[in-house]
Amino acid sequence: MSDQKQSSGLPAWVMYILGPLFMVGGFWVSVNVTHGNIKSLEEQGIPLDPGKTLAVIGVFLILFKVIESFYIMPLRDAIGTRNSDLESTFSEAENLRTQMADLKTDYERRLAATEADAREKIQAQIKEAQELRKTLMGEASAKADELVKRAQDEIAQERDRALAGIRLHVANLTLQATEKILSENMDNDRNRKLIDEFLDKVEVPTA
Amino acid sequence: MSGLLQTGLTLLASAEESHGEGGHHGTSFIGLFVYLGLTLLVLFVLLQSAKMGFKDRVFTRKTTSWFEQVYLFVEGMCVNIIGPHGRKYTPFIITFWLVIFVSNAVGLFMASTPTADLGFNLGMALISIGYVQWEGIGTNGVFGHFKHFAGPKLGLAMIPITLMIFVIEIISEAIKNVSLSLRLFGNIEGGHLAVEAMNKLGEPFYIPIGFFLLPIKVLTVVVQALIFTLLTCVYISLVTHHEEEHHDEHALEPTHA
Repeated sequence: MSDQKQSSGLPAWVMYILGPLFMVGGFWVSVNVTHGNIKSLEEQGIPLDPGKTLAVIGVFLILFKVIESFYIMPLRDAIGTRNSDLESTFSEAENLRTQMADLKTDYERRLAATEADAREKIQAQIKEAQELRKTLMGEASAKADELVKRAQDEIAQERDRALAGIRLHVANLTLQATEKILSENMDNDRNRKLIDEFLDKVEVPTA
Repeated sequence: MSGLLQTGLTLLASAEESHGEGGHHGTSFIGLFVYLGLTLLVLFVLLQSAKMGFKDRVFTRKTTSWFEQVYLFVEGMCVNIIGPHGRKYTPFIITFWLVIFVSNAVGLFMASTPTADLGFNLGMALISIGYVQWEGIGTNGVFGHFKHFAGPKLGLAMIPITLMIFVIEIISEAIKNVSLSLRLFGNIEGGHLAVEAMNKLGEPFYIPIGFFLLPIKVLTVVVQALIFTLLTCVYISLVTHHEEEHHDEHALEPTHA
């Protein structure tokens, strides 16, 4: 990591000392040193001042460290911070996504369980209702049958009672009529027997 | 404040004057440092402006975004050319890139610029090649580094050939300084001279013909910064890639066995 953080080379303090020395030395060379070859080069259109070269080396020795320390390293740190921020944001988003997926799965599972439970309860209620209905229907049917039977019995009793009453009344009327017609008492056992026999013949048989 | 401004203007005027007097003889020492100071002023204003946006979570400031793009571009170049360990050379390479780029850009609006001075370019080239040698020695050791200059092992009978290769390689290393510095000097100073010459052609008609060279000069601004840094990366790669190759060879050994 340190290999990537710092460029290799001389330590900063050495460069900060060497830089000004080179610059001053370069200025001195530029002012005081003249060489035939340099003049010859200059005459050929290639101007070369070794003093400038030395001074520029000095400037760059300082410049490398200044730019690296004050601008490159902060930029690297800023980019690193930004990248780690983005990575943490992405990882947080990923965690949230996983949590959401888990919650969704749990919700779906619970929903399915609730639906199954509700369906089971509804089915049980329906079954219970059907059984109750069957029981009630059976009871109602039995009670209705009993009521019908009782009514039929009462009707039959009433009919028999009415028929007996009518029969007695008709016999009495017949005897009274006959007694009046014949002006004699016809109310003896033999006549009553005759009337009954007659009525048995004319009586419509009941279903 | 006005005194400082007056001093600055005087220095700039003297720099312009020395350049004008000297013509192709280059700027004076003071003139060079006036232009270099101007270049560094522009550079540090831009960098300081960029630094003000470092606190933002997302770099919305223009200069910050620009600096980040330059940094990522140079870092990518270092990693692609030198290898994964090339990332540690990014500050070194980006300093060259920024100084050359800003200096060239300043030269578009001024009579001269530091990169139009051979002494300045030679200084950068010496640092570049010196750093390459430093890294080569650091990676391979003194003997290992200089052994590479002797070429492949040819046996005792071929010692003269080995010596000849060694001398040629040493000269080649020295010439790299010349090629790096002269290329940049030639392109930038040549551009200035071409503009001046074309302007002289248009002087009778009051037409600045040299202005039409501006697109080419803008291209040169970027390309020359790129070439200098790219070649430095290549040189660093040449002296530091052996270690990785050996690692790769060791990694491949079991498969060969």
